[in-house]
Amino acid sequence: LMTAKSLASKETVNGRCWFYSDDDDGISVYLNRELHAMNTVVAQLQTQFQDYLVSLYQQGFLDNQFTELRKLQDEGTPDFVAEVVSLFFDDCSKLINSMSRSLERPENVDFKQVDSGVHQLKGSSSSVGARRVKNVCISFKECCDVQNREGCLRCLQQVDYEYKMLKTKLQDLFNLEKQIVQAGGAIPQHFPSYTILRPDIRPCLDA
Amino acid sequence: MTVEQDFEAVDQFPVGMRVLAVDDDQTCLRILETLLHRCQYHVTTTDSAQTALELLRENKNKFDLVISDVDMPDMDGFKLLELVGLEMDLPVIMLSAHSDPKYVMKGVKHGACDYLLKPVRIEELKNIWQHVVRKSKFKKMKSIVIHDESSQGNSDQNGVKANRKRKDQFEEVEEEDEERGNENDDPTAQKKPRVLWTRELHNKFLAAVDHLGVEKAQPKKILDLMNVDKLTRENVASHLQKFRSALKKITNEANQQASMAAIDSHFMQMSSLKGLGGFHHQRQIPLGSSQFHGGAATMRHYPLGRLNSFGGVFPHVSSSLPRNHNDGGGYILQGMPIPPLDDLHINNNNKAFPGFSSQQSSLMVAPNNQLVLQGHQQSSYPSLNPGLSPHFEINKRLEDWSNALLSTNIPQSDVHSKPDALEWNHFCNSDAAQAGFIDPLQMKQQPANNLGPMTDAQRLRSSNPNEGLFVGQQKVENGSMPSNAGSLDDIVNSMMPKEQSQAEFFEGDLGFGWHNSSLRTCI
Repeated sequence: LMTAKSLASKETVNGRCWFYSDDDDGISVYLNRELHAMNTVVAQLQTQFQDYLVSLYQQGFLDNQFTELRKLQDEGTPDFVAEVVSLFFDDCSKLINSMSRSLERPENVDFKQVDSGVHQLKGSSSSVGARRVKNVCISFKECCDVQNREGCLRCLQQVDYEYKMLKTKLQDLFNLEKQIVQAGGAIPQHFPSYTILRPDIRPCLDA
Repeated sequence: MTVEQDFEAVDQFPVGMRVLAVDDDQTCLRILETLLHRCQYHVTTTDSAQTALELLRENKNKFDLVISDVDMPDMDGFKLLELVGLEMDLPVIMLSAHSDPKYVMKGVKHGACDYLLKPVRIEELKNIWQHVVRKSKFKKMKSIVIHDESSQGNSDQNGVKANRKRKDQFEEVEEEDEERGNENDDPTAQKKPRVLWTRELHNKFLAAVDHLGVEKAQPKKILDLMNVDKLTRENVASHLQKFRSALKKITNEANQQASMAAIDSHFMQMSSLKGLGGFHHQRQIPLGSSQFHGGAATMRHYPLGRLNSFGGVFPHVSSSLPRNHNDGGGYILQGMPIPPLDDLHINNNNKAFPGFSSQQSSLMVAPNNQLVLQGHQQSSYPSLNPGLSPHFEINKRLEDWSNALLSTNIPQSDVHSKPDALEWNHFCNSDAAQAGFIDPLQMKQQPANNLGPMTDAQRLRSSNPNEGLFVGQQKVENGSMPSNAGSLDDIVNSMMPKEQSQAEFFEGDLGFGWHNSSLRTCI
């Protein structure tokens, strides 16, 4: 509890904070409160981060493979996950474009090329833990096997939607991370387990 | 990693095991690379099977193991597997997203050591080194001991690996050894204690043979004459066979020789040189297809393998010369130092020392009816260089490592450049707004307003897709958060005057963005 005597005040002069008080106690209390407030912000951000991450698993956007990626990240490679998913989204974009071209003309569909694209997409999506994208690929492959162009087009559209959605979600997640770091906090090393967070809370595109 | 660190890693197998990873999918390749690094392997990556083959062909001793994806555009993974098995005989692990057993079967049939399904887990990669050990164990282990392994920071596996490296070159010698009923009867025997034919020992041998006459020399008699402890008749017998066969070859070649004298002096010169650096092609000596003669006298099967034990000092000619004979059937060791016959293995490092053609050593009949043991340029010659030996192997390793480092540092056209991790933010922002897909998202989530914290993010998201979650940002370009933003904002706002919440959040170098008034209220 602060007494009037030890009340500290704060001023910002030229971008710097100055604390004034009659005594040292006042300053330290003041600083403690500031720190506490700051910690509170950090703690809140961290909680938010964790909750958001969990939600991504619960909604089936991510699975345990994403967890493995996060585990691989360390101080030496702080941007590893961001880099890998960035590569993945690049791949998605390229593959979707080329498959789209192959499916363009109904009379001349190169299903082999489409199949190859789906296969690769399935491989990379499963490697990064992009569960929904991977699931669409499973359906996509089936359409390809029976040479169902309409089905392929629908799957293509869906894959496009899913990867962009995931991209947005992960962007939010990484933004949260950034804010935590900016606020002076550490990114929670929380690794939700997909197998525990059942995806039946929200509808998923399980194949 | 420094070269020295890399080198040490080699000796701590499987740490530092050199893996070549091939996958045209850049995402998977990046992940694989990181996983392998986490296992403490040394990793080289490429997204092209063709490049992989080139790397392997360039120096098959540069890698211990290959991991390759099955489906690649420029070459079928199975084809690569076959070629690697044929040409380099390295263990190959296949990777695929196909779990279909028929693919697995195909892999096995083409010689894959293992078949892993994507996504690969690190646990699976932690054990792949067993394939390296297994493969080398099953190869016919030459009886030739890698001498003085301590100089390389010996480890069994390291020896195994080094042995394996020379396996191909050994094979010819191995076969001959077995034909001769070598004491190494068991072809898979590894590292039986072998006699090391030192210079002194060989001199004794030569003396004995000389005394008995080359044609009439018999192992038993030679053994008796040599009077060396613990030497067996078999040792002598095999040594004699090699000696004789080398003699024969040299004799054959000697008939084509033109300038014996030149060779003589050549050898004199050679032997006085410090290192193999001097063993250059100095004269054109027509000798069939040979290119030049190196100075070191090496009989065919006494190549200068590793001179680890040799001390690297090349003997002076005179000191190594045995007595001369001038009888008709005699021979003379002249003009060349006796090679360090410690190791009986051939070290055919053609790649490491280009320009050396493997040649046969020959005993030549000199014009004056003297047989001259003549060293031919073997690829092993470079090991004579004191600069390289006695740590020849080490230096070779260093070279390997620096090559490996170079190759991994070279931005191969196929190795992707890492994109800016956050640059897709921009892409996404505009994309999100334009794609129109955001609508289903908003429609899904708007009804939920008072659910728990996990939907807050979504609400924030839907309210303004372009902002993501802006909390505590110093500059809010789009103005303050919309008032219908989620609960985080409420929390923040409760702690400070709303109008100042954003602008002053992180003010000052202490990072305390709290305004006076807010604290007063707290106090």
